[in-house]
Amino acid sequence: MRKRLQLIKEALSIGVVTRKYPFIPAEVPEGFRGLPQFDASKCIGCTACGNVCTPNAITFVDDTSLGIRRLEYYLGRCIFCGRCADVCPTSAITITKEFELASLNDRDLRLVIDIKLIKCQSCGRYFTTFRHLNTVAGKLQEGVVDLVNICPECRRKLALDSLIKLGGLK
Amino acid sequence: MHQLISSFEGLQGKVKGINYLNDGVVLVDTTPNSLFDVVNFITRELKGIFTVIIGVDAREIDGSFHNIYVFSLDELKKYVLVRVMLEGSDPKVPSITPLIKGADWSEREIRDLLGIKFINHPDPRKLIVPESWHDGVFPLRKEVSYKLRAHGPYEPYQPRRSEDVIALPYGPYHPLLHEPEYFELHVKGETVIDIEYRGFHVHRGIEKLGEARLTINQIPFVAERICGICGYVHSVCYCQVIEGAAGIEVPERALYIRSLILEIERIHSHLLWLGVACHVLGFDTGFMHAWRIREPVMHLAELLTGNRKTYGINLVGGVRRDLKEEHIDKVIKVLNEVKEGYTKFINYLTGVREVIKRLEGSGLLPRTEAISYGVVGPVARASALKRDVRVDHPYAAYKDVYFKVPVYNDCDNMARLMVRVEEVFESIDIIKQLLDKLPKGPILAENVEVAEYREGFSAVEAPRGEDVHYVMTGKYSRVYRWKVRAPSYSNIPALKVMLHECPLSDAPLTIASIDPCFSCTDRLIVVDVNTGKRFKVPMRALAKGWRP
Repeated sequence: MRKRLQLIKEALSIGVVTRKYPFIPAEVPEGFRGLPQFDASKCIGCTACGNVCTPNAITFVDDTSLGIRRLEYYLGRCIFCGRCADVCPTSAITITKEFELASLNDRDLRLVIDIKLIKCQSCGRYFTTFRHLNTVAGKLQEGVVDLVNICPECRRKLALDSLIKLGGLK
Repeated sequence: MHQLISSFEGLQGKVKGINYLNDGVVLVDTTPNSLFDVVNFITRELKGIFTVIIGVDAREIDGSFHNIYVFSLDELKKYVLVRVMLEGSDPKVPSITPLIKGADWSEREIRDLLGIKFINHPDPRKLIVPESWHDGVFPLRKEVSYKLRAHGPYEPYQPRRSEDVIALPYGPYHPLLHEPEYFELHVKGETVIDIEYRGFHVHRGIEKLGEARLTINQIPFVAERICGICGYVHSVCYCQVIEGAAGIEVPERALYIRSLILEIERIHSHLLWLGVACHVLGFDTGFMHAWRIREPVMHLAELLTGNRKTYGINLVGGVRRDLKEEHIDKVIKVLNEVKEGYTKFINYLTGVREVIKRLEGSGLLPRTEAISYGVVGPVARASALKRDVRVDHPYAAYKDVYFKVPVYNDCDNMARLMVRVEEVFESIDIIKQLLDKLPKGPILAENVEVAEYREGFSAVEAPRGEDVHYVMTGKYSRVYRWKVRAPSYSNIPALKVMLHECPLSDAPLTIASIDPCFSCTDRLIVVDVNTGKRFKVPMRALAKGWRP
């Protein structure tokens, strides 16, 4: 009995611990993984984030009739692991502390980024984005930069052709 | 190590081969005809405790199904995997359920999901797939798409019960644990005679998803979502399996961070359970205080990992997030405060006479039955079985820390409570030791490459007990087979023993005492044994002494 009375005393000394959220904002620590923010101006459409995305929240579709690569991000599927930000080569994705994301409108949960595709100079087929090529070209040595505008399949054929011309293969 | 291999010499002709998967795991090949002898030898001579059976559809590799029987040799600190190859066209194997009660669920699961026939199995009913599931569609076979939904017309669940019992329904939503499960309590008067369990309402096919769609480094994030309370153990266990199978050396610092987060998870899980146990007993003050003490631990996890619960810091080869130096003082400060508040709370809790009277002597699980069902975690330790994966099969950084494994001989609900109470203190101590010894260096292994068709097996001590994962790797950095055995899978069947001859009002508490996690593993009807009437009873009414 005495112990139970002590518990009441203890409870009174602690007071109310429930916070009056949402009237008082809830604080999250530095490094909290919340809403990923996409910077469309930095995105090069390399599809790295789509490849690592576990729940398929980030998907890529190439629309050849419009000549664009479309990144679709659906917040409803996102598990906030932040892997996309880890792998993004241009830091176009940053993880924010934002977590109050509920909405009555499904369209608020969707984000679309369109990036212009580029055609292969050899076969005329769309193969990657203009920005992706620009980024890659900046990292390449002189001499091979010319081959950047050609899709991987044509490049392979080209390499074979030049080998045959040299007489290496018959 | 060689001592174990030589001990199998007595079984010459029955064992086809013995290999080491890694230091702690031995793979023994045998034939279906010799299975009984090998299993008897392991359980009787080597004191092996049954863990799980893993079914693998390996027809793409060698044209056969594999059944892998896992036993834990706690004294020898080894796992023994007994592999049987079964014919691809008509897989059949003798059932070991007559020898080991704990094998019942495993065999029924494999029958449902892989279509392997178990000769002489006592229970022909379905376990995992719904009653309306089409016959002959086995979801884990490789030719079945993970998108397939093979539901036929609705068929009700047919419980097995004798004529003279009252069946009390309990579920499909446990009003106190808020998870879908269905128990049918067979009562005579006010005494529970038997129970029937029908679960797996929330079987989400995570194994199939992992095998069909995900890559090796995506699975840790899905694995973490197997359980809503102790998800991190699944993530760690999965990563350990792949690391073991591929021979990846994990940096020491990453192992320490994993152990640390695992212990934080144990503290919050045990405090959550203590709260729920108080609530089941009608002692809501205790519930409020337990959860008040728990909250700073959740904030601590948020600070260290970036989220309250699904931490998402594991990758194959290490962890993604480093522990910052400035956070160490904060961790120790919070843990000291939690310890102080917790000590006071336990003092009050054990001083409330009604709580103690309800817990003492109810829900008995004798040691022999505990071995037969292969129970794990606090349930085993409360039944005088000294089993703890952290000690028996050390992983992560547990080889470097010292801690006591609380074991009680009372076998009742009180013992199960006391085991968990003590474990929180031990966990706080472990975290302090880990922070003291925390080595410096990288946190993620480089060059994570996984060869195809390698097998791996690993276990982790979850707050609820031993969590087991098995992986066979596949082509193109995917997994071919991923098997998960959550701890409640071993503990729930043992409720049959715990609830036998127990008063109806103790049933909710006893069910709660194993800290069941139904989403992990995958309902209570009360039936009158005399009239066959069925009642749906709210848990609250049961706890207050409801009568038919």
